[in-house]
Amino acid sequence: MRRYEVFLKKDGREEFRHAGSLDAPDDELALVLARESYARRAEGDRLWLVDREHVILGDPEFISPNADKPHRHNDGKAIAEHRRNVREGGS
Amino acid sequence: MTGLGTAVREFLLAFADDEHLMGQQHTEWIGVAPFLEEDLAFSSIAQDELGHAAALYAIVAGDGDPVDDDLRIDELAFRPSPGDWRSAHLVEVASGDWAHALVRHWLYDAAEQLRWEQVAQSSLAPLAEAAARAEREERYHRRHADGLLDVLLPVPDSGERLQTALADLLPLAVGLFDPVAGEVEAVANGVASAPFDTRLDEWTDRVRRRFDVDPSQIQPAPPTGRLERHPDFGPMLVRMREVMDLDPAAVW
Repeated sequence: MRRYEVFLKKDGREEFRHAGSLDAPDDELALVLARESYARRAEGDRLWLVDREHVILGDPEFISPNADKPHRHNDGKAIAEHRRNVREGGS
Repeated sequence: MTGLGTAVREFLLAFADDEHLMGQQHTEWIGVAPFLEEDLAFSSIAQDELGHAAALYAIVAGDGDPVDDDLRIDELAFRPSPGDWRSAHLVEVASGDWAHALVRHWLYDAAEQLRWEQVAQSSLAPLAEAAARAEREERYHRRHADGLLDVLLPVPDSGERLQTALADLLPLAVGLFDPVAGEVEAVANGVASAPFDTRLDEWTDRVRRRFDVDPSQIQPAPPTGRLERHPDFGPMLVRMREVMDLDPAAVW
């Protein structure tokens, strides 16, 4: 059995979204089985199936090393405070 | 259309009963099919077959003008006396293992495609409409059965199991093509385009290509005119009527 990732979208609307996973012995049966597992209630009319073997994986250590760099997580508060200080200092 | 007449009614009932029991047999795999995804797909196919049966029973119940009346459809679909059924032995025999169920699914659906084709241009308009709708679903059924056989036939263990099931089922499957009561009249009235056994060679050819076996070498089971039930039918009818028989007077 291979494992596939299933993506669906409605024709002309929104983007493909991950719908779930699927086990199937080959691509043809994956398509046949995905229809009943994920689209039987017209959840989408376009389907992407990706063999999980073909998914390029990012290592979390490599992808997300920036937890210790708060300046990259600007929530606006620091800037707001800075502007307030400038305004008050200038009046 | 001024009523179906007894003969055409019999002809349609045989088709409806086959669809009904094929659907019923498939439903018995709900929850125990080999893997989850297959469970969903096979249940859905079962539901389609039951839908085809309901469409045919609705035509019979309405005497040519389909009724949307569950009680009248159920009355036809759950006849208490086995002798009143017109099903083929292929859909009555119990399937104890998955290989058996899968081979029957393929054999039945290969014949079913041809059977709907025989009524695709029917003089009975609701029947022609049912044929068009059924074929849209049957395309999926065939792709499903073929997809599984493509994977499983070449593997020694599963291939052997499938061939064993095939040897067991072929004599019964050929029986699908036996002339049924009312067929002559159905063809004369344009309800069907020709007797179903005119398609037997085509089906045989498909079986040969699919399984690499020659069905003409297999002795068909003796024809019963669909008047005798297979020994496995009785217990199935009891299961099908289990809830109804709890209280036969209940109104659903």
